[in-house]
Amino acid sequence: MPPRRVLLTGVSGPLGARLAARLAADPGVEHVIGIDTRRPPGALAERITFVQADLRRGELGPILKLASPHVVVHHDIVQFPEPGRSARSLHDLNVVGTLQLLAACGELPGLRAVVVRGSASIYGSQPDAPAFFTEDLARSATLRTRFQRDVGELERLVEAFARRHPAVACTVLRLQPVIGARVDTPIMRLFRSAVVPTFLGFDPRLQFVLDEDAVGAVAAAVGNPVRGAVNVAGEGTVSLARTLRRLGKRALPIAAPLYAPAVGALARTGVVPPLNDDVVRYLRHGRGVDTTRMRRDLRFAPTHTTAQAIDAVAAKIRAEDHAEAAA
Amino acid sequence: MIGPLGLLRDLGRALDAAGRRLRGDYEEDEWGYDPTFAAAAEPLLSFLYDRWWRVTATGTEHVPRDGRALLVANHAGVLPWDAAMMATALRRGGIVRDPRFLVLDWAFGLPWASVAIRRNGGVPASPYNALRLLEQDHLVMVFPEGAKGVGKPWSERYRLQRFGRGGFVELALRTGAPIVPCAIVGSEEIYPKLGELPGVAKLLGAPYMPITPTFPLLGPFGAIPLPSRWRIAFGPPIDLAGLGSGAAEDRATVLEVAEDVRARIQGMVYDNLIERQGAFR
Repeated sequence: MPPRRVLLTGVSGPLGARLAARLAADPGVEHVIGIDTRRPPGALAERITFVQADLRRGELGPILKLASPHVVVHHDIVQFPEPGRSARSLHDLNVVGTLQLLAACGELPGLRAVVVRGSASIYGSQPDAPAFFTEDLARSATLRTRFQRDVGELERLVEAFARRHPAVACTVLRLQPVIGARVDTPIMRLFRSAVVPTFLGFDPRLQFVLDEDAVGAVAAAVGNPVRGAVNVAGEGTVSLARTLRRLGKRALPIAAPLYAPAVGALARTGVVPPLNDDVVRYLRHGRGVDTTRMRRDLRFAPTHTTAQAIDAVAAKIRAEDHAEAAA
Repeated sequence: MIGPLGLLRDLGRALDAAGRRLRGDYEEDEWGYDPTFAAAAEPLLSFLYDRWWRVTATGTEHVPRDGRALLVANHAGVLPWDAAMMATALRRGGIVRDPRFLVLDWAFGLPWASVAIRRNGGVPASPYNALRLLEQDHLVMVFPEGAKGVGKPWSERYRLQRFGRGGFVELALRTGAPIVPCAIVGSEEIYPKLGELPGVAKLLGAPYMPITPTFPLLGPFGAIPLPSRWRIAFGPPIDLAGLGSGAAEDRATVLEVAEDVRARIQGMVYDNLIERQGAFR
């Protein structure tokens, strides 16, 4: 395959910058064009061009035409507020951003693949759910939370685009929650806080993907675009109780009816981070996904199982705590 | 050996196990099955098996020692005691494997019960779960009567309800797993259902809320099952390989096989009721 030009959205995000560097280091990639509304966190590597642009505005057409990428990686899908991504803008960024990007993609003659970073949140968290969701089960899930509806809507947009452009291979990667010492999400902040509020009498099965494997999965999809949705997760599941014990964190069990007010109060005092509906439901009922497609079609094998990812994070957090204690 | 040294050694082992537990240094498979937890429940299950229900088990030789298999049984009682006793019967019969059992979905919305069931090998009753378990060559127990079985009134006991839409047959056909029929006698007397409280059931999201001689009269103590005498009989496996995997798509075949299995289990239930001679003897 000749070297390709890759366009990457959300390049200034925490994982976006690492993904850009990873892609730029790939000999199969000729050039990376990174788009974001925010400035990149540091200097970008050679072969990466940064373009400041807002996906939600119709200014993408000329930029995309000029860049004429072979692969578009839509990585600017946000579940949680982060610097430069306020809570109110999340829905617009996810849905309108995707809409505008795909509209601009429709006019690229050289485009061969679109890779979208979706989320396993699309399946939701329910007590009676299958223990391992396969990709075809997303349709049967009731969309309960805001982000779930966002990813549901954006997947429909991608599907519609794929139908109209059969020559372009469209991949949606449904990632389980990403963890890693350098990741800043409510779940990671929860793992760093003194106590972790849990649901009294519940111990869900959790499944994670380590940050480097999340980056690796997207890079794998760029090299080998498969059509349709692919679940991405570390092998196996680990119960919340065992996760917290491995992290050396104390659980604070709260009865279900009191959970929301109690966590709200704790969040206001800064003891725990604010949690959105997805995370709360995940902490009560958990979720597992089937990763057969990831291994067989995407031909990607994560370096860390869920248990190993938790151990890797636990080791880093311990080291941080020691360093803090020493200082 | 019981002496101060032996006691110290046992204490050391117990502390070591507790420490490993607290550090999260224990095994758990992808289904949340927790062998150490399950082993801890064994004394209670043995007590129920030997003293409370005085279980007699027959035909354990029919249960495959390895490879996938579907154990199909009649169902009664709100809590999955029947599954626990089947598992105990298998262990006593020298079958060293961790059977998994499908449990009504709503149980997984309950605090504590959901965790205990899962750690002991229970999974939500979804065909996707059953398929994956069988593909992993597990021994899977299913109760196709489902909620209709547990909600039977006292007068209907041991009359097997319709076996759903025959989903278990479809699974067996698709995975090539043999079906081992199993009749359980005794489980249908542990919570004699005299009436129902549909309003309360709706409020709690439960499929039904029974009135038994002890519940709700004695509150939580109503969950203590009556000490009936039990018999568990495993029948010869039914091999469906001859029908071919295409038969899974054929509704008529599936329903026919399901009815055949149901009739077989019903026959085994009647035989064992006669053998047992009296429920609380």
